[in-house]
Amino acid sequence: MSTPTDVQPPTRSERSHRRPVSSWREHHSWSAGASLRRLASKPVGSFLTIAVMGLALALPLAFYLLLSNAQSLGDALGRNQVINVFLKPDQVAANAQLLAKQVQQHDGVANVTLKSPQQGMDELSKMQGFSDSLHALDDNPLPYVLEVQPQDGLSADAVGHLVDDLRGMQGVDMVQDSGTWRQRLDALLGVGNRAVLILAALFALAVLLVVGNTVRVDITSRADEIGVLKLVGASRAFVRRPYLYAGIWYGLSGGILAVALALLIEFALVDPVARLSQVYEGKLHVGGLPPWLLLAVPIAAAFLGWLGARLVSAWQLRRAA
Amino acid sequence: MGNAVIRFDQVSKRYEGGHEALSQLTFEVAKGEMAFVTGHSGAGKSTLLKLLALIERPSHGHISLDGQSLAKIGRSGIPKLRRSLGMVFQDHRLLMDRTVFANVELPLVIGGIAPLERGRRVRAALEKVGLLDYERQLPASLSTGEQQRVGIARAIVAKPNVLIADEPTGNLDPQLAVEIMGLFAEFQQVGTTVLIASHDLPLIKRMKKRVVVLDHGRLVADVAAEEVL
Repeated sequence: MSTPTDVQPPTRSERSHRRPVSSWREHHSWSAGASLRRLASKPVGSFLTIAVMGLALALPLAFYLLLSNAQSLGDALGRNQVINVFLKPDQVAANAQLLAKQVQQHDGVANVTLKSPQQGMDELSKMQGFSDSLHALDDNPLPYVLEVQPQDGLSADAVGHLVDDLRGMQGVDMVQDSGTWRQRLDALLGVGNRAVLILAALFALAVLLVVGNTVRVDITSRADEIGVLKLVGASRAFVRRPYLYAGIWYGLSGGILAVALALLIEFALVDPVARLSQVYEGKLHVGGLPPWLLLAVPIAAAFLGWLGARLVSAWQLRRAA
Repeated sequence: MGNAVIRFDQVSKRYEGGHEALSQLTFEVAKGEMAFVTGHSGAGKSTLLKLLALIERPSHGHISLDGQSLAKIGRSGIPKLRRSLGMVFQDHRLLMDRTVFANVELPLVIGGIAPLERGRRVRAALEKVGLLDYERQLPASLSTGEQQRVGIARAIVAKPNVLIADEPTGNLDPQLAVEIMGLFAEFQQVGTTVLIASHDLPLIKRMKKRVVVLDHGRLVADVAAEEVL
């Protein structure tokens, strides 16, 4: 029987022929495919791992979504913020108009509306329950009022300074700032933002541990295979590479699942938020997750998966050596 | 011997606990030669092969393979050395969850060979061992002899210069054992150096190749092919 040339010993030129780049490409291509086949060969286990990671990553995303919408709500309400400046009862119309002009020239003021005592009385009489009691009054006790609207985007500190300036003006009796609640909301949002960051860090660590443990179990169950690979000349990098790819696939799939869940949450919020927006005459613009975040989450999750697999496989394969 | 591919020079191996598996072993195998290493159980046959594949390191002495001193090969160089060897094991060491094709393909994947070329070489190797029709099957569905032939196909697919086998016919019936040994002899005929550890003396005599006899780790006889009765 003649021996095929394909199984004859290599010639000198064959031995010296080195193609490091194509070898590298082939190694990665094979490892990526092999790791995908491994994941597919145990669909339930793979799905559960991916589901845990997806849920872990979806939670901070959901909080981020809620917070960004709360921020948006705060901004919308902030645009309705009005500072009521009550003038002293002895102020006549001419004084009130002069004061309104002075306030209008203030840097932080967007608009000033002067309301006469009669206009105030008319508004009160439209309110349920006030009409009868107002008829009992002999004369109008209400003062002139300046409704001052601060400029959009004015910080809480700047609004505070504006209020102080208004209080110091001659003829002003009392200043009522409706923006205190906004400061409280901003403070709460600040706490929420920090909480989201901490949650994201904790869940990222959870992803790292989930992938690490999955890879550890995988390596342990494949000890025989690793032994065979080493016997036929596989380097440690070659043995490890499919596990790194597995980490990437786990992370990437978990990240995509997290984004899908977050989009579902966003979708579920569309109707109630639209109703809320109507209440604020369309001033409330509710945002979803920004496109860069939708892209960044799967990429970051894939990196975390790779990192978890790398840390554990390096340690586990060193032990197996 | 000037063209020695395998060279053992005063090699001893003592395991932890004091057991001396090899003692002052000196012998050479020439390029393209086929030789058997034989002896009773515990004679040191498997240890000798393990030293060649750097699964173990010698306690004393020097081993060279293809002119390269194994003592100079560090941990990172071991994979490259093993890629230059074809190894056949008594227990086959196949991956039971991979097809026959995937098992035979492994050394080529590790060598970074492109898929098309891999397919060509794997089929040539399977054809050589008579298993071309089995490439899609899992090893568990094959007989022991067929599994051993898959192991041989995997050992030869990367075209190694040196083929070593540890009791390759240990679990096979006599007829199949002769067929397997015939395969090794064919590789020798095309220039591959073949070293086989076996305790099957009748089979060894039948092959009429050089025989190195070990006893308690010592070389007690080195019989040339033409002197084998």
